[in-house]
Amino acid sequence: MEIRALLSAMWRSRVGPVLVAAQVAITLAVVVNVAYIVKLRIDNISQATGVDADNIFWVAMQAYVPDYNAAVAAPADVTWLRSLPGVVDAANSSLVPQGFSTSVLPVSYDASLLDKEGGRGQGVSPAIIYMGTARLVQTLGVKLVAGRGFSEGAVQPPAPDGRATLAQWGPEVVITKNLADKLWPKGDALGKTLHTGLVNKPATIVGIVEYMQHQPVMGPAADMFRSVVMVAATPAGQRTMYLVRTQPGRRDAVMARVEKDMADLQPGRYISAMESLTNSAARQRAGSVTSVVTLSVVAAFVVLVTVVGIVGLAAFTVATRTKQLGTRRAIGATKFHILRYFLVENWLITSVGALIGCALALAVGIKLSMMYRMPQLPLFYLVGGVVALWLLGLLAVWLPARRAAAISPATATRTV
Amino acid sequence: MFMHDLRLALHSLRRNPVLTALMVIAIAAGIAASMITITTYHGRSGHPIWWKADKLYAVTLDPRDPDANNAFASLQRHPEYPPLQVTYQDAKALFRSDIPTRQVMMYRSSRVVPPRQPGEKPLAFDTRLTTADFFAMFDVPFIYGRGWTRADDEGPSPVVVLSKYANQKLFGGTNSVGKTVTLQDKDFRVIGVIDSWSPAPKFYDLNNGGFDLPENLFMPFQWGIALKLGNNGSTNCVRANVKVGGFEELLTSDCVWLQYWAELPTASQRQRYQAFVDNYTNDQRRAGRFPRPQNNNRIVDVDTWLEMWEIVGDETKIQVAVAIMFLLVCVLNTFGLMLAKFLKAAPISGLRRALGASRVDIMRQHLIEVVIVGLLGGALGLVLAKFGLDGMRVLAIRPVPGQDDNPARVALQQSLSSMDTNMFLVALALALLTGILAGLYPAWRIGRLSPSTFLKTQ
Repeated sequence: MEIRALLSAMWRSRVGPVLVAAQVAITLAVVVNVAYIVKLRIDNISQATGVDADNIFWVAMQAYVPDYNAAVAAPADVTWLRSLPGVVDAANSSLVPQGFSTSVLPVSYDASLLDKEGGRGQGVSPAIIYMGTARLVQTLGVKLVAGRGFSEGAVQPPAPDGRATLAQWGPEVVITKNLADKLWPKGDALGKTLHTGLVNKPATIVGIVEYMQHQPVMGPAADMFRSVVMVAATPAGQRTMYLVRTQPGRRDAVMARVEKDMADLQPGRYISAMESLTNSAARQRAGSVTSVVTLSVVAAFVVLVTVVGIVGLAAFTVATRTKQLGTRRAIGATKFHILRYFLVENWLITSVGALIGCALALAVGIKLSMMYRMPQLPLFYLVGGVVALWLLGLLAVWLPARRAAAISPATATRTV
Repeated sequence: MFMHDLRLALHSLRRNPVLTALMVIAIAAGIAASMITITTYHGRSGHPIWWKADKLYAVTLDPRDPDANNAFASLQRHPEYPPLQVTYQDAKALFRSDIPTRQVMMYRSSRVVPPRQPGEKPLAFDTRLTTADFFAMFDVPFIYGRGWTRADDEGPSPVVVLSKYANQKLFGGTNSVGKTVTLQDKDFRVIGVIDSWSPAPKFYDLNNGGFDLPENLFMPFQWGIALKLGNNGSTNCVRANVKVGGFEELLTSDCVWLQYWAELPTASQRQRYQAFVDNYTNDQRRAGRFPRPQNNNRIVDVDTWLEMWEIVGDETKIQVAVAIMFLLVCVLNTFGLMLAKFLKAAPISGLRRALGASRVDIMRQHLIEVVIVGLLGGALGLVLAKFGLDGMRVLAIRPVPGQDDNPARVALQQSLSSMDTNMFLVALALALLTGILAGLYPAWRIGRLSPSTFLKTQ
């Protein structure tokens, strides 16, 4: 093949190819890294929640009279909620799964570890603490792999303020398998005692939940949000939150009923907020979704502009070399030769760009992982990016190359 | 002369409408992406009280246990930062200093105004429990009345300052100074009404998000303690040996939950105050608290404070970086297309040269062409950016259940993603820069060509 002729032709009009190569390089660096960032975001927001998210809603009751008796009202409300047609189960809960609040405490299998090294060393794990009433496990719809939910008698009555509820735990906890496996790697967590720092309440593990994730979080903290401890307590006071799980398809009807009637069951209170878990989860993910859309759109435009650049350069080359191409055809080059010439030329430019782009993409990837606590860019993203750009390049140059191949040998005999 | 060049440039652009359109669209897309992301960045990175940038300082102490590499710290990006709030006992101790010109300890809670007539809905208001200096320190504007005095803090006096929104809801926007508001079970006298005020970010307390509205009720800090009002923010118990329980334990334990700010206008005040705080923690260390061997007391200005809270956020920074890379690709693309276009039309320039036009004339004509493409791209880019920002708002802003219907909330959210005059100027500058970067070399190249090259082949 006429590689030397091709290179010398490129050298004579080097600015165009250099520009295209530079575009290809930046495009590769952008697209590969954006693809990876977007993939991480999508993985994060599409993580399983472990709860029956489609059929759960939460409702917050706010009292405005000082003598509001949450100790009476909360259990009565739960009984009323459970009696509604379409309701599967209901419970008080201190946290909304996929909601915005979080409560974290250190837990361990050994109480003395909690006081050593500030209670945060080996054998201690941070965990998300849900305080909830008897039917919390059933209301969340999480799957138990061992044991059971709370027993009715384990649940303690509410404290005067929500904070004091922290000190009024029952003797039973249900934990996620993620946490159980961390503290008891042999898999014998059921029946063991879990100690919790700051409140220093020992409690027996009566149930192990297969999987539950409190919030979608990326990075090193992700694991903590799958380490959940459910504590038997009644988180109720001036503000009391209820979780309600309904039969499929009946959630909105139950919500309407609750909104209409629930507050009036007791004087001196009103519903300060209620929302389906689907909405809470969507709100929680809105930032990531915006980011995914923005980054994807921009990356798609980067590719589009680069393809336009390749087409433009090739078309220009064909237009300015019409006479030479005709001459080559006249002295024996076939259409295939001409086509091949342009494809190879473009492939060379793309490859040089891709080579520089690889270095650039890696540099950007390393920078990102250092600045934004991201995992390192996997190399197959780079390989995929290079192959995709090669294909796109060939596709982009195909039409102008076809036009070049169609130039009649007779053109050589004419003056332009 | 200029009009002549302009006409020539326009004529030349019209000769290749497809190529011109491609260049304009590429620049427009690049500028739109940059403007959307830069606007978001700009909205989040504002200095909410720039005129007091060197006067206001957030105060943080470090009462944590000394194990830097513990299970929690490894989850934090900056385990070296002290906790970003202070404990009640430290706040009280700091408050005794007379070095700061003004200072506040404060936190956020909420209060409900019960129905005043049958059938009326109760009104819940975010409430700030703060000491008296808050209003003067943060330059809070008043419509009616004023804030309370330090003497009112002592009592505490049953006084309340309303936001404009709360005053609208409770008193229909009239001058309510002297009137009474019942908050849950206690009566408070209105002492002042705040005018529209929404510092963004809400630097003085970032626990509930950087772009939340200020609270609707303000009352003396001591009421929070007297009425045992819990905080709506975050509580971080930073030592293993503390016991958390009820409100009383919160007051005595090493749990941070209060915001503390000091106004220190002079360098000497700042030095003396740092020494005062360090002395305090040294004394506490001798008494068994502050187990870390070194003081880690940070008294930081608003800029540093916003950085410590990571208000701008990784996502925004990544988006700006990607958009600017995109703009660069657009510049290279336009560069290539412009060069191709100029070279293709070179014979015409050759003819003009032969007829007496100078190199400078040719260059100027082509530069004008480039600038026109840049400006058209910039204008189209601005329109696209506006649509893009509207779209992002739809994606990002979702109604929060139970939130009040304060119109200022919507206005605040919109202002964060709206292009102001500054952004308009940035877009103009970007458009010109893009056009010139892309077109300078092609224009120079075409101007340098000798006329004979082209005349020969004609």
